[in-house]
Amino acid sequence: MLGRAAGDISPRRRRVRWDLVLLLAPLALLTGIFFDVPLLNTALWSVSDPATGALTGAHFQEFAQSAAYTRIIWRTLVMALEVTLLTALLGYPLAYWTSRLRPRLQAVVLAFIVMTFWVSILVRTYAWIVILGNGGLVNRTLQALGLTTRPVEFLYNELGILIGMTNVLLPFLVLPLYAAMVRIDRRLLQVAQTLGAGPTRIFWQIFFPLTLPTLAASAIFVFILSLGFYITPAVLGGGRVPLVANMMDLLVNRFARWEMAAVVSVVLMAVTLSLYSVYQWLRERGA
Amino acid sequence: MSVKTDHQSKTKGDVMKKILGNMSLACTIFLAATTGAAWAQQAKELHVMTAGGEYGDSLDKCINEQLLKDAGIKVISETPGGYAKIAAQAKSGVIVNTVTDGSTGDMYRLAAEGLLEPIDWAKLNPEPMFDEAKNPNGFGASYYSTIMAWRSDAKAPQNFVDFFDTEKFPGKRALPDYPEFVLAFAAMGDGMTPEEVSKGVDLDRAFKTLERVKKDTIWWQSGAQPAQLLKDNEAQYAIAWSGRVLGQDGVTATYNQGMLDISWWVVAKGISDEQREMLYAWLRAQTNAEKQKCLVSFLPYPGASPELEKIVTPEMQKTFPTSAENKKVQWLSNGQWWFDNAKEVEKRWNEFKLLQ
Repeated sequence: MLGRAAGDISPRRRRVRWDLVLLLAPLALLTGIFFDVPLLNTALWSVSDPATGALTGAHFQEFAQSAAYTRIIWRTLVMALEVTLLTALLGYPLAYWTSRLRPRLQAVVLAFIVMTFWVSILVRTYAWIVILGNGGLVNRTLQALGLTTRPVEFLYNELGILIGMTNVLLPFLVLPLYAAMVRIDRRLLQVAQTLGAGPTRIFWQIFFPLTLPTLAASAIFVFILSLGFYITPAVLGGGRVPLVANMMDLLVNRFARWEMAAVVSVVLMAVTLSLYSVYQWLRERGA
Repeated sequence: MSVKTDHQSKTKGDVMKKILGNMSLACTIFLAATTGAAWAQQAKELHVMTAGGEYGDSLDKCINEQLLKDAGIKVISETPGGYAKIAAQAKSGVIVNTVTDGSTGDMYRLAAEGLLEPIDWAKLNPEPMFDEAKNPNGFGASYYSTIMAWRSDAKAPQNFVDFFDTEKFPGKRALPDYPEFVLAFAAMGDGMTPEEVSKGVDLDRAFKTLERVKKDTIWWQSGAQPAQLLKDNEAQYAIAWSGRVLGQDGVTATYNQGMLDISWWVVAKGISDEQREMLYAWLRAQTNAEKQKCLVSFLPYPGASPELEKIVTPEMQKTFPTSAENKKVQWLSNGQWWFDNAKEVEKRWNEFKLLQ
């Protein structure tokens, strides 16, 4: 990989670029010591007895037998899927609309989308309470218009988490999709038009298939990210809809059961890595 | 390290390299100097774990600042503390934090697992304090109560049967996300009396109530949340720690049927003699009545000094969970029962919380 970094060297004369190796060594060392080693250590905990340190499969057995762990992992996966679908449904039209605007307007819309990255996730999560709470903007407007008599419960249930997570994750889908859409060769669409295809057919037969690999890759990316959400379910779920990250917090900080937390981490990591490999495969195919 | 292919800007590159080299050298020296200073300072630092928030602020203002002036001990707080962090220290063998605050239940649990260092009361040599606050395994820092509170515009409940009656008293309940602070009240919601729950909680009856009201419940983890949820009209009724809901605008609270408890400082097993000396100085400072008066000006959790109620105003004294009038309508949490039933409580609580 290091050899390939210098693009001008032909395969025949490929040699190790020691200067690059030296330049990259500190980073590799840092990642190894502070990321990989603790990760392996976690994996080790998941199969060792906390008292004796002997290898054991008891924790994984407990994980498989307890209804709670599997149920929460399942709920997290379903939740992540819902978030991904909602993000795709909202994000695709937004990206499409943006890519069709005049260049200057595009820049403005993109700036608005990117701007959400600069606001802390905690602030954005709490902002939803101001907007969707019982005494919030939406409920007061609905009641003032006479549409509802009692406040609608947006928060402290799955709906609240869904709204909060989709809001945070939307840019992760919109930005890559937008980039893919502006790269599409417009002449292909014009050719289809001259051959007599209507706008609907052009979209579904030409445009959409060309954006599909990016859509799939971004959707998987959003799915992976949503597996690890902690703040949003904790705040907007009112403690009623625990997801994996909240369960780990409980195991580590309340019950001091690190070995079970390690098992959950390993399971989650296995799920994430398999999804990531699909993501990479799709991305390489799309590129 | 030089990039050989880059002939044109060689001289320029050399200059850059020299500057970069000098800069990194300067950085290294700076780093070495600051870490060295940090090492030198560490000798007089006392690391503690506290609940933080306003409570942490009150400790900083009333105790820690003076201790730095008088004894040169710098107190460094980590928040929050609790059972899991003490246990993690003991398992890893690295004792960073000397002490944490915890409930009576926490203290029994940690002591039973052999993770606590007993308090050497003779060596600690406190100013006068109530005997019940001088536990062999813990230093009674302050009295607090877990009580019911509601929005002043909501129908007032008379007891916990009313409190958990979501039909006669409609509205959301903000409940503690901690079994030891909610299960006894839930059992009272099913008709157990305070006398009965202070002996032990019928878990079946407690979870029966919680199953009934869980649709109308918001679970809170941080002590400041319940008052905020009531004020925002997100919840109409709450079970909360006394100091956080008393005297808040638009919120009514009562000590009636409240659960009185002591907040303890418990000492991690394995601390060094030097750490213990600093820690005892810190704890001793907290037994001073004037300092306790300063602490209650932040949050109304009175310390264990018998002198305290004589030096605060009668109005303030009335808000204390320990005032004669308030004490008689409350009941005491039974730490031993919680310890004996810890495994069962944890299992049933997990099933209830995670499977809801």
